[in-house]
Amino acid sequence: MSKEGQKSDLPVCSLCTEPAVIYQRHVDRHLCGTHFTADVELRVADIIKTQQMIVPRDRVAVALSGGKDSTALLLILNRLLQKWQNFQLIALTIDEGIAGYREETIQSAEQLTGQFGIEHHCISFSDLFGDTLDAFLKFRETQACSICGILRKKALVRGANQAGATKLATGHNLDDEAQSVLMNVFRGDLPRLVRNSGADSSGRFIPRIKPLSLISEKEIATYLVLKDAWRHLPDCPYTRYALRREVRSMLSGFEYRHPGTMLHLMESKKKIEHFYAGSVISEPIKSCRECGDPSSGELCQSCMLMQSLRRGHT
Amino acid sequence: MKLILSDKDVRILEHSPAPVEQILLEQGINPLEVIISRNGKLVSEDTVIETGDEIRVIRIAHGG
Repeated sequence: MSKEGQKSDLPVCSLCTEPAVIYQRHVDRHLCGTHFTADVELRVADIIKTQQMIVPRDRVAVALSGGKDSTALLLILNRLLQKWQNFQLIALTIDEGIAGYREETIQSAEQLTGQFGIEHHCISFSDLFGDTLDAFLKFRETQACSICGILRKKALVRGANQAGATKLATGHNLDDEAQSVLMNVFRGDLPRLVRNSGADSSGRFIPRIKPLSLISEKEIATYLVLKDAWRHLPDCPYTRYALRREVRSMLSGFEYRHPGTMLHLMESKKKIEHFYAGSVISEPIKSCRECGDPSSGELCQSCMLMQSLRRGHT
Repeated sequence: MKLILSDKDVRILEHSPAPVEQILLEQGINPLEVIISRNGKLVSEDTVIETGDEIRVIRIAHGG
């Protein structure tokens, strides 16, 4: 078959005549590699500007696990940094201590930051909490994601503070965010549903930003393949216990049958946030009496958790 | 056609030319949870797969 013949079999880009690498179902559009990578970078730049996620002179710490989402985030922010040149970019990796899983992703994170000359900080659960996640989870495997989530959050905030960051950027994508909306609804957790971790905190804690929150997981994977940065990494051994896994599968099925479902969920969250703006829904911010970090109660979540873990139950 | 799954599971399918989306659904795979390369090049899910093609299916969901 001729080259022309091969090309004619392929769906082509809606913006040029090159073969399409992706079909964006929610906008009914095909894009080639060049137009797709430009589109992703433009959408990320747009959400950063619209939501004022990064302001001049910010020192942005990317929470870099070495997995696909944080890798894509670092690559895109590094591209934007070259264009905007008005903020600093550093990377922060948390070593939870998950044998057979974290070693490879940390290696990947080190390679990536080395390649682009990005300042890289690493902090471990062992240093911060005295033991590995594997040790904490002995006989508590089914609680893995909630325990890890609380400790990881603490470690990221501590690491970002130590590194002098003014913003903490995480690689949460559209799928993650839509799953969280649904999970909070399932749990009846309205305060968590409307909580805005990027809001102005009057200096009490480093605002978290999620520049990939409107980019789908499939788009992120496609972006990485096109940038020759896709790596086959092992799955976290604890994901089989996660509620998120069930929600992910269900939501993905909905999105396939009803394109735009995830974006609609995000719009619903935004409307609920707007409706509750100014309402007293969350506890006022206090200081944890153990560690001094901002907390809604006498003890922050992680200090409360550590006390329970030391007592032998959660 | 040859279907290579992420877990190195290789399936030889006797299939007439069809969109990759249809082939994935027949294999119980949601097209949104994978990216596809045909003969080494990324393609969109409505690309028609021919009899002699090699299709690599890359699962994208990780983490918890």
